[in-house]
Amino acid sequence: MEHVIAKPGQGAGAHAHLRWMLPALCLLAGLHLWLNGGMPPAGPWWQQQDIASLQFYYASLPRMVMALLAGAALGLSGSVLQQLSGNRLVSPMTLGISSGAWLGVVLAAVVLPDNPSLSSGWPALLGAMLALGLVLLLAGPRGLNGLPLVLAGMAVNLLLGGMATMLVLLHDQYASNLFVWGAGDLAQIDWQWAQWLWPRLLPAALLFWLAPRPLAMLSLGVAAARGRGLALGTILLLLLAALWLSAATVTAVGLIGFIGLLAPNLAQLLGARRPLAQLACSALLGAVCLLGSDCLALAIGHWAGSSLPSGAVTALLGGPLLLWLVRRSMNAAQHTAMLQIPGSQRQWRKRNYPLLLGALLGLGWLSIALAPGPDGWQWGWPDALLWSLRWPRSLVALSAGAGLALAGVLLQRLLRNPLASPDLLGLSAGSTLCMLLVAGWLGRPLQQDATMLALLGALLVLAGLLWLGRRHQYAPGMMALSGIALAAMLDAMLQTVLAKGTPDGLAVLAWLSGSSYRVTPAQAVWLSLTVLLLALAAQACQRVLTLLSLGDGLAQGRGLHLSAARLLLLLLVALLTAAVTSVLGPVAFLGLLAPHIASMLGARRAANQLVVAALLGAGLLLLADWLGRVVIYPRQLPLGMLASVLCGCYFMLLLGWQGVRRGGGQ
Amino acid sequence: MRLYWLGVLLCWAVLGCAFAGGIDELAAARAQPAAKRIVALSWEAAENLLELGITPLAVADADDYRRWVAQPLLPAGALSAGSRLEPNLELLASLKPDLILSSPVLGALRPRLQAIAPVLTIDAFRQDEDHAQAAEAIFLQLGRVLGRQPQADTRLHQLAQGFAQLRQQLQAHGARRLPRVQVIRFANASSVYVYGSNAMPVLALRRLGLNTTGTPAASVWGISQQRVVDLAAWRDEVVLYQQPFAEAGRLFVSPLWQGMPFVRQQRLAAVAPAWSYGGVGSLYYLAQRMTAALLQLPLLADKPVAANRTSRRSST
Repeated sequence: MEHVIAKPGQGAGAHAHLRWMLPALCLLAGLHLWLNGGMPPAGPWWQQQDIASLQFYYASLPRMVMALLAGAALGLSGSVLQQLSGNRLVSPMTLGISSGAWLGVVLAAVVLPDNPSLSSGWPALLGAMLALGLVLLLAGPRGLNGLPLVLAGMAVNLLLGGMATMLVLLHDQYASNLFVWGAGDLAQIDWQWAQWLWPRLLPAALLFWLAPRPLAMLSLGVAAARGRGLALGTILLLLLAALWLSAATVTAVGLIGFIGLLAPNLAQLLGARRPLAQLACSALLGAVCLLGSDCLALAIGHWAGSSLPSGAVTALLGGPLLLWLVRRSMNAAQHTAMLQIPGSQRQWRKRNYPLLLGALLGLGWLSIALAPGPDGWQWGWPDALLWSLRWPRSLVALSAGAGLALAGVLLQRLLRNPLASPDLLGLSAGSTLCMLLVAGWLGRPLQQDATMLALLGALLVLAGLLWLGRRHQYAPGMMALSGIALAAMLDAMLQTVLAKGTPDGLAVLAWLSGSSYRVTPAQAVWLSLTVLLLALAAQACQRVLTLLSLGDGLAQGRGLHLSAARLLLLLLVALLTAAVTSVLGPVAFLGLLAPHIASMLGARRAANQLVVAALLGAGLLLLADWLGRVVIYPRQLPLGMLASVLCGCYFMLLLGWQGVRRGGGQ
Repeated sequence: MRLYWLGVLLCWAVLGCAFAGGIDELAAARAQPAAKRIVALSWEAAENLLELGITPLAVADADDYRRWVAQPLLPAGALSAGSRLEPNLELLASLKPDLILSSPVLGALRPRLQAIAPVLTIDAFRQDEDHAQAAEAIFLQLGRVLGRQPQADTRLHQLAQGFAQLRQQLQAHGARRLPRVQVIRFANASSVYVYGSNAMPVLALRRLGLNTTGTPAASVWGISQQRVVDLAAWRDEVVLYQQPFAEAGRLFVSPLWQGMPFVRQQRLAAVAPAWSYGGVGSLYYLAQRMTAALLQLPLLADKPVAANRTSRRSST
C-alpha cells in the first residue's frame, strides 16, 4: 500500500466510517426485504411453490441485490470520474452516459415497437457506448483528465438528450411506457437483470487494483503526475472502466443518476482522503444510499397504494443529505477548488460586432417572412393574422436567448465554474415543480396559470438558496452544490409524474422542452423589456465581474464587498432565469454554452463576453424557433430542444476544431 | 402576511376548479349548426365527429389517430393539424374553419383559437364523474350543437343494442359465475398500470354487467401504477391485460408470473388493442374486445369451474 501522500491519521477516519457502514448495509438489506413483502418462508427454497415464496425469491431478493450492485457501481464510477477530472460536480450523468442510453432505448422503441428491446439491454448499452465514444473523440487523448473531458461530456449530454426528447415528443405513444425505466426502476420479476449485470461489473476489480496510484499522482496536479511518468493509457483505461460501470448499471436499472454524484461527495465529506479509501467509501455509500432510498420508495408505495420509481426517491433523499453535509463541513479550501473558463488564442475585434448584428437581422427577417403553409412554402410579409401569430414567438426567442446567455456569463464568472448555468441553481426546476404540484393537487390542466406559477416557483427556490447560502457568504462552491441538490430533488418529482403513465406526463415534457408556442403578445413584450432592463444592469456590473474573476483576495483588496457583490449578481441571475422560464419553460443548455462560445470566439473580457454571448444566444434561439416551426410542418418542435441540439452540434464542432488546431488538448 | 397570501392563492385555485366538465354551454350556443369545416384538436373530439357522420377537416396527430385509435376510420382526406399538445395555429388560420373542437389541455390557447374560429371545449376526463355518462352527454350535446341530433340518438341506440348483445353472449357463457374483473396495461415486464373505478375499460365492464368492485380508486386519468409483484394479492379475480405488450415473452415465462393465482387458474386473457381515452364509440369497442377476451377463458366454458379443473388434473 502506498503511504506517501496520506498522513498517518488521515486514513483512520475513513476506516472508522467503514466499520459502521457495513452493519448499516446489513440492517438496510433486512429492512428492504421486509418492506418488499416479508421474510422467506421456512424450508429449502426449491420446495417452495406458493406465491409468497416465489415473491421472495424472484422479486424481493433480486431487487435487493440489484440495489446493492447498482448503488456500488454508480458510487464507484462517480468517485473515479470526480478524482480524474478534479471536479466535484462531475458524475456519470454529466458525461452523457445516461442521455446516450436514453436515446438508444427511445430509438429502439420507435424503430422496433413490437420488439422487446428494452429487456435485452442492448439499445441502452449501445447508446451509452455511443455517448462514451463521442466524449472520448471530442476530449482527445490529452484532454482525458481535465476540462476538455467535462466539456465534451456536457456537449454530448446536450446533443443526445435533446435528440431523445425530440423522439419522445414525436412518437409519444411508443415512448410513454419508457418513462418507468426513465425514472429509474429497481422492481424485478426474476434474476435476469442481476445475472446480466454482475459479470459486467467486473471492471470494478480493475479499478480497485489499478486506480489508487494514478489517482494519487493526479491529485498533486496534472503536470506533477506527468512528471512522475503517469501514462495516458492508464488514464484512458480508468476512464473507460468507470464509464462502462455506469453504462451497464443505467442499462439495467434505468436513469438513477444522483448516486454517482452524491456518494463520492459524501465519502469525501466523511473523511475519506486517499484515493483507495475514496473509492471503497464511495462504492459502499452508493450501495447504502440506493438501498436506503429504495426502502423509502417501497414504504411510500405501500402507503400511497401506487408504486414509486426508485430513482426519484434517490434524488429526493439524496438532495437534502448533500445539502446538510455541504453546510456542515465545507471549508474555504473547497470553495476555490474550481476550474478556469477555457480560452482560445483568438482575439475579439470591434469590427466583428456589425457582422454579428447583421446575421441577427437576417435571421429575424427569415423567421418572420419564410414559412410553409397548406399550399407549400410562402415567402413574403405575412397577413395580419399570421403576423400576430409570428412576431411574439420571434421576439420571445430573441429576448429569452439574450437573457439566458447573460445569466450564464454572470453565473460562470461568479461561481468560477464553467459548468455553472442558470438551470444549475435549480430555478427552472423550481418553476416546473410549482406547476406540477398545482396541477397534481388541484387536478387542473397543466398549462393554465403557467406563468405565475413558474415565477412563484423560481422565486421560492431563490429564497431557499439565499437562506442556505447566507452562512457561507454565497460562496461559489456552496451555491453550486446546493443548486444541484435542489434541482435534483425537484427533478425527482417530475420523473414521478412522468412514470405515472398519464397523458399529463407528455404535457409536462412539452413544457420541459421549452416551447415558445403558448407565448402571448403581452408576455413577449413584458419579457423583452425585462431582459433589456436586466441586461443594462448586468453591463453596469462588469467591473464587479472582472474583479470577481481575479479571485477573492484580489477582489477584496481592491475594495469589493464580496458577499454583497455575490448577492447582487445572484439576484440578477435569478431574475433573468425566472423571467425566461416563466414564459418559455426551461431552456437548459443555452445558458451554459453561449458564454463558452463567446469566450472561444475570443470575447474574454467581461464587457465583451456579456454582449457577444447575449447576441449569440438571441440568434441561436431565433434560429431554433424558426427551425422548430418549419422542419416537420405541420407539427412543431419546441425551441428549447432544438436549441440544445444546435448548441450541442456547434459546441462539438468548436471543441473538435480547437483540438485539431492545437494537437488535441489543453 | 404569509397566511394572507396563502389564502389568496387558495381562493384563486378554488375559483379555477369551479368550472365543471362537459361542453361549455355558452360557446355551444354561439356555434353554428351548419358548421361544415370542423377541426378536431383531440382524438375524442375526432371520434365523436366521425360517429356523428361528420368528416373533420383536420385532426391533431391524424396519422397517430389512424394507428392508435383506428376505429372509427378517419378518411384519408382529413389533414393533420399538428400535435394534440401544440396544434399548428398558422395552419389553422390558413384553413379558415367554421368550428374548432378543443380539449382542456389547450385551455390557455382558447383566446387565440377564438381569433381563428368559434371554439368548443370538450372536457371528458375528470376524477369526480362517471366518464361513460359524461361521454354520452357530450355526444348528445355535440349532436345538438351540430344539428345532428337524430344521428346522435340513432347511434346511441345502436350502441345500447350492441352492449345488450355482448351482455347476452357473456351470460350465455356463464358470466354469472365470474368473480371480479381487473383490467391492466403493462408498462414493462416489472411494472403495470391498473385501471381505476372511473377508467373507460372498467366502465365498459360495468355496462357489460360484470363485477368490478375492488378496482383502485378514481383518478383524473383513471390509472394507478403498480408493481407486477403486487398483482399476487388478487386471489380470485379475472385479469384482462391490454395489448400490445412487447415484453410478454419475458414476463409470461417467469416462475413468478406462472405462480400468480390468476395465471395458475387460467383467469388471465389478452384484450386486442383499443383506445381507452375516447368517447361513446371507444367505450363500445373496448367492451367488444374485452368480451371476446373473456369468452376465451376456460372459466366461461359450459362446464362448471370445479369440474374443469379436476378434469385437467386427471388428464396430466
